[in-house]
Amino acid sequence: MIRFDITDQLSFMKMGIVESLRLVMDPELHINIIELGLVYGVKIDETNKQIGIEMTLSSPYCPMGESILSAVKNCIEGHFIGFQATVELVWEPVWSYDNITEEGKRLLSI
Amino acid sequence: MSTIKHDASLYKIVVIHYLIAAVCFLVLAVMMLFSVDVFSGHYFQPKILAMTHMAVLGWGTLIIWGACYQLLPVVLETELFSKKLAWISLSLFLPGLIALVYSFWVFNPGIHMECGSILLLSSILLFTINVFFTARKKQQGSIQHDFIFTSSLCLAFTTLLGTALVFNFQFAFLPQDQLHFLKLHAHIGIVGWFLLLVIGVSTKLVPMFLVSSYHNTRLLLWSYYLIVVALLLFLVDAYIWGINYKTYFIVLIGSAGIACYLVFIGKCYKSRIRKTIDLPMMHTFFSLMLLAIAIIILPLIITYNLKNDPASVRYSLLYGSMLFMGWLTALILGQTFKTLPFIVWIKHYEHLTGKVQTPMPADLVQNNILKIQAVGLVVFCITFFGGCLFSSVLLKYIGISALLISAITYLVNVIHVLLHQSKTTTYDKV
Repeated sequence: MIRFDITDQLSFMKMGIVESLRLVMDPELHINIIELGLVYGVKIDETNKQIGIEMTLSSPYCPMGESILSAVKNCIEGHFIGFQATVELVWEPVWSYDNITEEGKRLLSI
Repeated sequence: MSTIKHDASLYKIVVIHYLIAAVCFLVLAVMMLFSVDVFSGHYFQPKILAMTHMAVLGWGTLIIWGACYQLLPVVLETELFSKKLAWISLSLFLPGLIALVYSFWVFNPGIHMECGSILLLSSILLFTINVFFTARKKQQGSIQHDFIFTSSLCLAFTTLLGTALVFNFQFAFLPQDQLHFLKLHAHIGIVGWFLLLVIGVSTKLVPMFLVSSYHNTRLLLWSYYLIVVALLLFLVDAYIWGINYKTYFIVLIGSAGIACYLVFIGKCYKSRIRKTIDLPMMHTFFSLMLLAIAIIILPLIITYNLKNDPASVRYSLLYGSMLFMGWLTALILGQTFKTLPFIVWIKHYEHLTGKVQTPMPADLVQNNILKIQAVGLVVFCITFFGGCLFSSVLLKYIGISALLISAITYLVNVIHVLLHQSKTTTYDKV
């Protein structure tokens, strides 16, 4: 779960990034990657105009993994013009059912 | 991580396999409609042989090959060894299939049937080489790797024996009669090729499509060894002694292996995150139910066979048709619309995701046509298998007509997915 620090000047931008990532859907589950809890962290380097996303996938064998990662990159670069996005795929901590938000669980009828 | 990526040359190979298999399925349904009467007799007759080979080669094997070329790299986390080999394999396969099925249909065991079998054997050997070298690229083995690799070896062995049987019609060199070897040929094909491959691929795909948290492969290890041991025991025992009391024990070992696989799928189902089950996945669960029913019929066949009761022939026909037209057909009808939309979606939308709103892979399928296909399949299974069991020609006609509807709707839906035109909406308009 991503945490926001309101004393951080960039926290509003981070929130904007997270909001824009709600547009990236998991093609099998039909819910967005934020509600699924796939995004672990957002880093902004304002000087070099870089946005870094740290995220995971529901399974290392996910056949759509590449598409989801490119969707994240496209989404960020499309919404934050002038910034370059890098997506880092991590497997620790391992994604589990507990990562899904309450809204995500509701959408999945869990 | 290995994922599906758009590769134009691979896309063409995969798509052509799906399309030809869909046409073969329709041809098969028409062949069945014009030969309903033969389902009342012995299974060793020309039209049944023609239809069986159309079902297992034109329908089952072709679509599995198409899916394999796309999914093997995902399942084994590596790249396909050679696309050129895949093309050569297909171009040998098609004339071989036509020659073999036609020669069986008119029953002319001469040069056409022999050439057909040689072409098929060459094609299948090339496929096996492609799978072998693809699997060898993978450094660390997995149980799915073992299932898939063993299955491709069994396919080559099945075809080798099949080719020998074709030549035996003319040269009669085999030490025992055709029927004796036919049992071995059929079971290496059903258990060795189809069952092992389906387990290998489905145990990766089903947990993925259900988004299941169950990944323990201990049950699959048991499943693999029990099925392979049962198959080897059956081949040796049935070759030397034919069907006998030991066959019950061998069936028990094989059934235990299948039970381990079904329990694995059950555990994936229970631990799934995705609660709603879509129509393609329902096809899959229906197919597994048919597999379980077909296995239950086996002890009956052995019992009647030991008593020399002609009912064994009727039950054998029911068992064979339930496996090919029930289990495999239901599985393919469902899984096509899980895999093909993804493959086509990636071609159209991979570069656009995140920039504009795109449809989801499932949106590429015509859901209403899929529903008609599903109803057709269920009606076919109930009436056709009921017709085989109670020797009712009317029920068989109703069943095959329903299958024809399923085959037409399936082909229409496959073409619909393949002809999909990109549709996107900008996020401002969402």
